[in-house]
Amino acid sequence: MAVSAGAINHPSFDLNGTRRRTGVIKCCRAKGRKDLKFGSDRDYYTLLGVSPDSTSLEIKEAYRNLQKKHHPDVAGQKGHEYTLKLNEAYRVLMREDLRRDYNASAGRSGRRGTSEAVGYSSWRGPLRPQALFVDENACIGCRECVHNASNTFVMDDELGCARVRIQYGDDDQKLEVSVDSCPVNCIHWIDREDLPVLEFVIRPRTKDGYGVFGGGWERPSNVFAAAKAFTKEMERQNATKYASAPVEEESPAQAKARMDASAKMRRERFSMVWDFIKGLNSNIWKDK
Amino acid sequence: MAQAAYTVASDSENTGEGNTSMTFPEIAIGIDVGTSHCSVAVWNGSEVEILRNARNQKMMRSYVLFKDDTPSGGVSSQLSHEQEITSGSAIFNVKRLIGRVDSDPVVQSCKTLPFLVQTLDVGTRPFIAALVNDVWRSTTPEEVIAISLVELKALAEVQLKRPVRDVVLTVPASFSRFQLARVEQSCAMAGLRVLRLMPEPTAVALLYAQQQQQSVDDNQGSVSEKIALIFSMGAGYSDVAISATAGGVSQIKALAGCAIGGEDLLQNTIRYLLPPDSKHLLLTQTINEIRSMGLLRLATQEAIHKLSSDTSAQVNFDLGDGKTIHKVITREEFESVNRDAFEKCKALVRQCLHDAKVDVENVDDVILVGGCSRIPWVTNMVTETLKKGEIYKGMNPLEAAVIGVALEGAVASGINDPFGSLDLLTIQATPLAVGIRASGDNFVPVIPRNTTIPTRKDVFFTTVRDNQSEALIIVYEGEGEKVGENHLLGYFKIAGIPPAAKGVPEINVCMDIDASNTLRVLAGVLLPGSRQPTGPIMEVRMPTVDDSHGLCADALNRTYGTSLDLVTLKKAA
Repeated sequence: MAVSAGAINHPSFDLNGTRRRTGVIKCCRAKGRKDLKFGSDRDYYTLLGVSPDSTSLEIKEAYRNLQKKHHPDVAGQKGHEYTLKLNEAYRVLMREDLRRDYNASAGRSGRRGTSEAVGYSSWRGPLRPQALFVDENACIGCRECVHNASNTFVMDDELGCARVRIQYGDDDQKLEVSVDSCPVNCIHWIDREDLPVLEFVIRPRTKDGYGVFGGGWERPSNVFAAAKAFTKEMERQNATKYASAPVEEESPAQAKARMDASAKMRRERFSMVWDFIKGLNSNIWKDK
Repeated sequence: MAQAAYTVASDSENTGEGNTSMTFPEIAIGIDVGTSHCSVAVWNGSEVEILRNARNQKMMRSYVLFKDDTPSGGVSSQLSHEQEITSGSAIFNVKRLIGRVDSDPVVQSCKTLPFLVQTLDVGTRPFIAALVNDVWRSTTPEEVIAISLVELKALAEVQLKRPVRDVVLTVPASFSRFQLARVEQSCAMAGLRVLRLMPEPTAVALLYAQQQQQSVDDNQGSVSEKIALIFSMGAGYSDVAISATAGGVSQIKALAGCAIGGEDLLQNTIRYLLPPDSKHLLLTQTINEIRSMGLLRLATQEAIHKLSSDTSAQVNFDLGDGKTIHKVITREEFESVNRDAFEKCKALVRQCLHDAKVDVENVDDVILVGGCSRIPWVTNMVTETLKKGEIYKGMNPLEAAVIGVALEGAVASGINDPFGSLDLLTIQATPLAVGIRASGDNFVPVIPRNTTIPTRKDVFFTTVRDNQSEALIIVYEGEGEKVGENHLLGYFKIAGIPPAAKGVPEINVCMDIDASNTLRVLAGVLLPGSRQPTGPIMEVRMPTVDDSHGLCADALNRTYGTSLDLVTLKKAA
């Protein structure tokens, strides 16, 4: 039962960057803002593995499933930190008013959609800062990685290339072996924040045709450059939107209306991403 | 969770078998030590089995008889005759005494029990003693519970043919953390390691979750959420919980309890039966009168039991000195003398419904457990309050709690069942708020009640004086707005606050409760704009107070007053 003293980090003194920022916000810039924590490691939707427009029923279900895996009764003391976050996320998302505030502040922070989304691959265990990604353009379909780490990689026989299905589906050693075994070095360790964009961009999609010319399917030849461009475009759109928004003095009602509207606009802009992810998510939960 | 001094010894004893226990995790047993009865159960690989003692009893009486050199409890031994319980040498109802100070009204009411409960009304532990060969031999509630636990442990070890160390215990929801620490101490004395202390209705909720899970499997039905209200009324305590159950997970939405039980009903009835000129007998401490009151207690208890099925009961009793009681008590009379106690139970149910934000119409099942669940008024109150035609029938009201803790024992020991019968989880909530004293004698909660655990929350405080260099963090638990109404858990001082105007230094007080309900309080000082604490932060495991905790708060107040006070930090615009 004894917990090592190190297991508990004091929130305000944590050296972890995002948490520390929260402390500063509280101290100096707590202007009319509720104490919401939305660091990238604490996004409630990602944590629960649900999409931002999911119903409370879906959130409940996801919460229960995750609790069953990570609750300290089941996972032991190491589940403590994770369950703490889970409880906090659940508390906020289950209350309509808190969830609205949360959505608004998360939307304003400009993170939604690019850094928090769940990509094609699902996660086994807690989220980690690094993720695996297969550059499908380079992949020659040798099946070496699927052979070495069968729980992580799957073969897409239609496209003839491998893909990450479950992040960290195998132990670290197997993952290392499979990364090293790739003859064309097309398996990359990337930052988790970049994963959804990369996985979105790599998906082949229909090309606009002009008469009999063009049409068919295409995917960017350099997926990393394409992802960077995609992210930049998103940021540019955000910047223009927020630059035009009134900065000073507005009534709370106005602020709320603006927040709701901008959150909605963001959701619509990303609806393509979300629809894509939602489809995958429902499959993921079914699998579990 | 158990106290280090005790566990270290047993750790070193068991190091040899450390490896085997890794591969075959020991299944923790479940023990329900009630005010009047106790029982033990364990997961036997396919279901929960309630163990029987040598006399083939599943429910054993909770008392300890100090007769000869070795005390013996109700698990292993039998009273030579029923009156022996009133001889002065039997100690029982200690669950109402454990961890309470002598100024507590519950301890005061225990003075009518047929053994010695001496109070000095100053806020220290009461003196308890059993009569052994005309000598009042002192004991403690912890010791008495430990003796019962040793007997239950021995019973389990004989039947399971293995040493037993881990245990999950039921506790009343209203127990303060200090009382829980005392229960843990009893377990440590008995050589048991506490895996979890479960409030009784939450143990029942876990059993309910298992039953729902099985019925879903049978019907192949959809996983819909079911809301259950569990009302548990035993001899010493009443508890209410509201749980939302789906997929084997029972989530406690609200939990509340109070120290009202069959014992109060019994005492009210005795008081009613006694002729006006004999009321003084209740608080007497001469041995013959204590015995006489003990016998009256037995007679009254019998009458109350009879009133559960009949509408009236006859009590005939000889008080000595030519005084006798010949009275027929009707069910109406019984209900009217206990009106206050019953109303408190009703208020508890209503409060719980309110806290859980659940409408009466949305409650799917009403579960009634505990010895007092047989009282017609209790059944009627619950069915009326919840507008339900009937009570959930799937479980035995006396056995549900012990089965629940045995299930939790198996789950928390990491046992898997191939048929999914252990694919269960209870998500607990805190029944009482935890916070600190601030702005004089106000209680500022850091973790409110009915917060899902594990949880961690923090609140910023600041100084009340210019250049205040020290602050006293006094931790309380309870619901009152003033600290005096709440339980003191501990205190510590934060020193070395940098000199600054009042209201400038930020003192962060963070509280962390883990799944085994261990509370840690952390505190540190920040200056505005700085990200680093000015010195090392303090981490204190609560409770730290001892038996005289009733005196402590007064002493602190007298010595320091509000000179080391804190106020909540108003976030500046």
